[in-house]
Amino acid sequence: MTLPYITAAVLWLALIAYAVLGGADFGGGVWGLLAFGPSKERQRQLVDEAIGPVWEANHVWLIFLIVGLFTAFPIVFSTLSVVLFVPFTLALFGIVLRGAAFIFHTHSPGALRQFWGRLFSAASAITPFLLGACAAAVAGGQIHAPGGQANISPVSLWTTPFALNIGAMAVSLCATLAAIYLSVEAQQAADTDLMAAFRLRAIIAGALTAALGALGLLLSQEEATLLWNGMLAHALPLVLATMLVGLGAAASLLLRRYQLARVLIILETALMLASWGAAQLPYLVPPDLTIANAASPDATLIALLVSTAIGMLVLLPSLWLLFRVFKSQPAPEREQEEAGGFAE
Amino acid sequence: MSDLLAARAQMGTSLAFHIIFAALGVGMPLLMCLAEGLALWRRDAVWMALARRWAKASAILFAIGAVSGTVLSFELGLLWPTFMKFSGAIIGLPFALEGFAFFTEAIFLGLYLYGWNRLSPRAHWLCSFPIWISGLISAWFVVSANSWMNTPVGFKIVDGKVTGIDPLQAMLNPSTPYQTTHMILACYVATGFGTAAVYAVALLRGKRGDYYRKGLLLALAMGAIAIPLQIISGDASARFLEQSQPAKLAAMEGVVRTANGVPLMVGGLADPNTGQVSYALEIPDGLSFLVSGDPNGRIIGLDAFAPEDRPNPLPVHTAFDGMVASGFFALFIGLLFWALYFWRKRVMPQNRLLLLGIALAGPLSFLAIELGWMVTELGRQPWVIYGILRTKDAVTTAPGLNISFLAFSCLYVVLAVTLIWLLLRLARSPLPKVALADSADQSGGDIS
Repeated sequence: MTLPYITAAVLWLALIAYAVLGGADFGGGVWGLLAFGPSKERQRQLVDEAIGPVWEANHVWLIFLIVGLFTAFPIVFSTLSVVLFVPFTLALFGIVLRGAAFIFHTHSPGALRQFWGRLFSAASAITPFLLGACAAAVAGGQIHAPGGQANISPVSLWTTPFALNIGAMAVSLCATLAAIYLSVEAQQAADTDLMAAFRLRAIIAGALTAALGALGLLLSQEEATLLWNGMLAHALPLVLATMLVGLGAAASLLLRRYQLARVLIILETALMLASWGAAQLPYLVPPDLTIANAASPDATLIALLVSTAIGMLVLLPSLWLLFRVFKSQPAPEREQEEAGGFAE
Repeated sequence: MSDLLAARAQMGTSLAFHIIFAALGVGMPLLMCLAEGLALWRRDAVWMALARRWAKASAILFAIGAVSGTVLSFELGLLWPTFMKFSGAIIGLPFALEGFAFFTEAIFLGLYLYGWNRLSPRAHWLCSFPIWISGLISAWFVVSANSWMNTPVGFKIVDGKVTGIDPLQAMLNPSTPYQTTHMILACYVATGFGTAAVYAVALLRGKRGDYYRKGLLLALAMGAIAIPLQIISGDASARFLEQSQPAKLAAMEGVVRTANGVPLMVGGLADPNTGQVSYALEIPDGLSFLVSGDPNGRIIGLDAFAPEDRPNPLPVHTAFDGMVASGFFALFIGLLFWALYFWRKRVMPQNRLLLLGIALAGPLSFLAIELGWMVTELGRQPWVIYGILRTKDAVTTAPGLNISFLAFSCLYVVLAVTLIWLLLRLARSPLPKVALADSADQSGGDIS
C-alpha cells in the first residue's frame, strides 16, 4: 500500500528536477527570443553558454519521468497518451525541435545560425506551454478511464481557460528560473550589465508568474474543483509556503542576493509542484486513477525503486561533477573550439 | 492509410532514424576514448586531433540521438497505449535502467564535449570511459526490452489478467543474450566501418597524411575486430530462432512449406501466396544443414502456422539476405585490408579499389542495422508481443495518425538534411590545430 506512494513521490521528485533544470533551459530559450537592448547579443551568448553543456543531461529527467510512469503506473501513461494525444504530440515536436535547433544553431554559420536560434527559442516557449496545459488538463479532473479504457472527450481538455492559464504560467515560471540562474552566471562572469538585465527580467517574469498563479487559483474554483478543494483540505501549508518563498525570492532579487534567489526559486518551484501533487491526493489522474489503483504490482515497484537507488548512487556524484565544472566557476578562457561554430 | 499502418509507419520511421544515432552513440565514444588514450600515451597530436574532430561531430550526432530517442519513448504510449498498459509493469524496468545509463552518458558527454579547457588532459580522457561504458549498457537494456517482445516471459495470464510479474526474469528473457550481443556488435561494426569510410573517401579524393591514415586504421581496426564476432553471433541468433520463433526463421529464409532437406535460398523474392522463392540462388539442403547440422534436417515452414499468424516472407527474406550480404561484404573488406597491411609489414594498403570497398562497407554496415531491425520487427508480425498481443490490438484510438506520421516524417527529413550538411561542412573545415599541453615540440601545425 505504501509502495505506490513512495514510487509516486520519487516520480514527483523527478518532475521537480525536470522543472527546475529542464525548465530553466526552456526559459533560456525564451530570453533568447526576447533579447533586446544594447547587450542583446551578449544576452544570447550567455544563454547559449549556460545551456550548452547541461541541456542533454537536464533533458534526461523527462525520459526518466516517462519510463518511470509507464513502469510504475502503466495505465496512467496509456490513458494520458490517448486523451492528450494532440498536446503530447505537439510538445514532443517542440522537444525535438528545441534540442535539434539548439545544436544546429551552435554549429551553423551566419544567417542559418540565426534561423536555428530563433527556432530554438520559439520551441522553448511553446513546449512548456503545452506541458503546462497538459498538467492542468490532468488537474482538471475530467480524464476518465472507465474499466481501464480511456474515453476521449470531445471537449479539448487542454484548451480550457484554466489550462491556457497554467500553460502561460509554466512558460513564465521557466523564464523566471532562467533569468535568475543567468543573473548568477553573469555575476560569476562579473558582467554587471547582463546582471542588471537579467535581474530586471527575473523580477518581471516572477511578478507575471505570481499573477498567473493567482488567476489559476481563482479559475481552479470553477474548472478544477477537485484541485481547489484538495488544496483547502490538505495542501494549504504547502500553498502558503509557496507564496512566502515566492515573496522571499522577489525580495532577494531586489536586494541583489542572486545566489539566495536561485535557491529560493528552486524551492518555490518544488513547493508549487508539491502543492499540486498533494492537493490531488489520492489521485494521479482524477477522478478515476488513484495512486493505489493505477500502480503496478509490488514486484515491479520494488525493482524500480531499488534500481533508482542504485542509479542515483552513480548519478548524483556525476551530476555534482557536471555542475561543479560548469556552474561554479566562470569559463577559464573563451572556448573557441567547442562553443563557437567551426572557426578553428 | 489505415490507423494501424500509419502508426506502424511512424514507429518504423522513428526507429530507422534513431537507430543510426544510437549505434554511433555506442561506437563513437569508444573510438574517442581510444584515440585520446593513444594521444596521451604516445604524446601524439594527430591522435588528439582525431579525438577532437570526432568529439565535435559527436556533439551534433548525440544531440539528435537524444531527441529522437525521446520521440520513441513518447511514441510507445502515443501509438501503442494498449501495449504499454499491458507490458509497462513487466518490461518497464530495463527502460528505467536504460534511463540511468543514458543519464550517465549525457552527463559525461557534457563534461567531455565542453570540458576540454576546464579539465586536465587525464581527467578529460577519463570522462570518456563512463560514456562508452554506459552507451554499451544502455544498448543492452533497451534491446533486452525488445527481446522480451520476441520471447515474453516473467508473467502469467490468469483469467485474462496479468499476474505473477517478475521484471528481472522478463528482462533476462531467452532472446536477450542473442539480441543484445548482436546489436552491440552491430554498433561497433557500423561505427568502425562508417568512420573508416569517411577517411577512405578522403584518401580517394587525394588527401594524404598521418591524420587520415590513423583515422582509417583505428576505425577499421574496431570494425574488423567486431565483424567476425558479429557473423558468429548472427549464426547463433538464427539457430536460436528455430526454437523460439520458427515463424520468423521461416520468413527470413523464405520457407513456406515444412520439409526435410530444405535448400538455402540466397536472394530472390519470396512469394507468400505461391510459396515459391523466385530468382534465388539455391543451395541444396543448405538451410537444413546450417540450422541442424544435418543435411536432411526438418525445417518448419510458414504453413505450420495459421494464415493470420504468419509474417510476410517477402520483406523479411529480402531484408535478411541484404543484411547478411552487407555483413559478409564488410567481413571480406576488413580481412583483405588487414591481411594486406600485415603482409606489407605494416604499410597501409592504398589500392583504390580497396579504398572504394571501404567507402562502400561503411554505408552498407548501417544498412545492415536497418535491415536487421526490419527482420526482427516484421518477422515478429502480426504480433507486438509474440503469441500474446497482436499489433492491430495495441494501436491507439486517437485520431489524426496520418497527420502525425506525415509531420514526423517531414521533421526527420529536415533534421537529416541539416545534419548531413553540417557534417560535410565540418569534414571540409581545416583540421584543428592541436598542441599537447606539455609537449611544445609536438605542436600540431603539420598534422595533415
